Amino acid sequence: MTTSHPLRAAPLSSAAALRRRGLVFAMALVPVLAGPVLADEEPVFRIEFKDGVVTPRRLDVPARRRFSLELHNLGETPAEFESRELRKEKVLAPGTSSVLVIRTLEPGEYDFFDDFHPDAPSAVLVAKE
Amino acid sequence: MLGSQLGNVVFVIWRESVEALLIIGILNAWLRHNDVGGRGRLFLWSGVGAGLLVAVAFGTVVVLFSEAIPESGQQAYQAIAVLIAAALIIQMVVWMRRHGRTLKRELETALGQASADANWWGVFTLAAIAVAREGAETVVFLFGTLAAIKASSFLAPLIAVLTGFLLALATYAALQLGSRIVTWRVFFGVTEAMLLLLAASLLMTGVDTLADLGILPATRRVWDISAILSDSGAVGGLVGSLTGYRARPDAVQITTYLLYWGIVCWLLRKTRSARP
Repeated sequence: MTTSHPLRAAPLSSAAALRRRGLVFAMALVPVLAGPVLADEEPVFRIEFKDGVVTPRRLDVPARRRFSLELHNLGETPAEFESRELRKEKVLAPGTSSVLVIRTLEPGEYDFFDDFHPDAPSAVLVAKE
Repeated sequence: MLGSQLGNVVFVIWRESVEALLIIGILNAWLRHNDVGGRGRLFLWSGVGAGLLVAVAFGTVVVLFSEAIPESGQQAYQAIAVLIAAALIIQMVVWMRRHGRTLKRELETALGQASADANWWGVFTLAAIAVAREGAETVVFLFGTLAAIKASSFLAPLIAVLTGFLLALATYAALQLGSRIVTWRVFFGVTEAMLLLLAASLLMTGVDTLADLGILPATRRVWDISAILSDSGAVGGLVGSLTGYRARPDAVQITTYLLYWGIVCWLLRKTRSARP
């Protein structure tokens, strides 16, 4: 299973030391993918839906931090990001994208799945300090 | 499309319709049973029509301009709508208990008619919210599913869509049939419980949305019974949306659920004597 990583430039200010630790850790594990770079301080994670296949199926995110989820429906059929535990649902017509903001998560695992492909395997968001 | 995707299409269309169908079907059966001259049913089905218009409008906006409405605005509307719907269901259950046997007589008085009219507006609003809520998602799902049809294999997905709607109609028909087959007392008892569970689910959705907006606190999980029944996926998700079940509830959710049933039981006990 692949793990996604925050897409942004390396932080420069000392106030971002915690974030840098997480970023370095993540970047040590996976190759850097080209992607949008945000000017503000929130990490952004990418989740792709393609006709029932959710990528990645396991996503590591920071706990107790604000972050964004970029949802992309790359398939031909509609998808719906649904997570009871994150209290979020978002319908994605084919070929569209959307952004969800998560304000804060206690450490733990949070299931999510594509509610328009309910028989497909679900995925999990893992929040770690 | 793959076979499993066709199964998904049937299931999703049925599932999106079932919550609204239960509410409308139960209300329609009750109104028909009490033979109140069709006025209540006029309000009910006008509400359904209004809900469909809203669903198509909103669904179209989502398909064409997916980011037109900011997320927190959508969530605020959703929270308000589901909380109103939950309150209306409770009010309606209490009202149906109280007025069941005496409604025909009451409608012969002006006061009785006015009081009934107030309730019919509640029926209209509830039907509209119930249909609009799931209808918007269904519209987006339909658009996307039909757009994905390729010329060479259009028949199978089309049949899947129609089958989903037919199953939904069958569920509605089963409700109407049920009201005729079993005794009214049994039917009313069972459907009353179904309505109250639906209201609980709507309340939980409202509380969850408020917690996500930061209006209510989001607290830690208290227990985790997802090994028994997860609230993700097809079965668990359906149970969750029909009853308000949560596999990993936090303190706010547990408190809400307990308070809800406490209040509902108290309300029902107060109207026990008028039960049909």
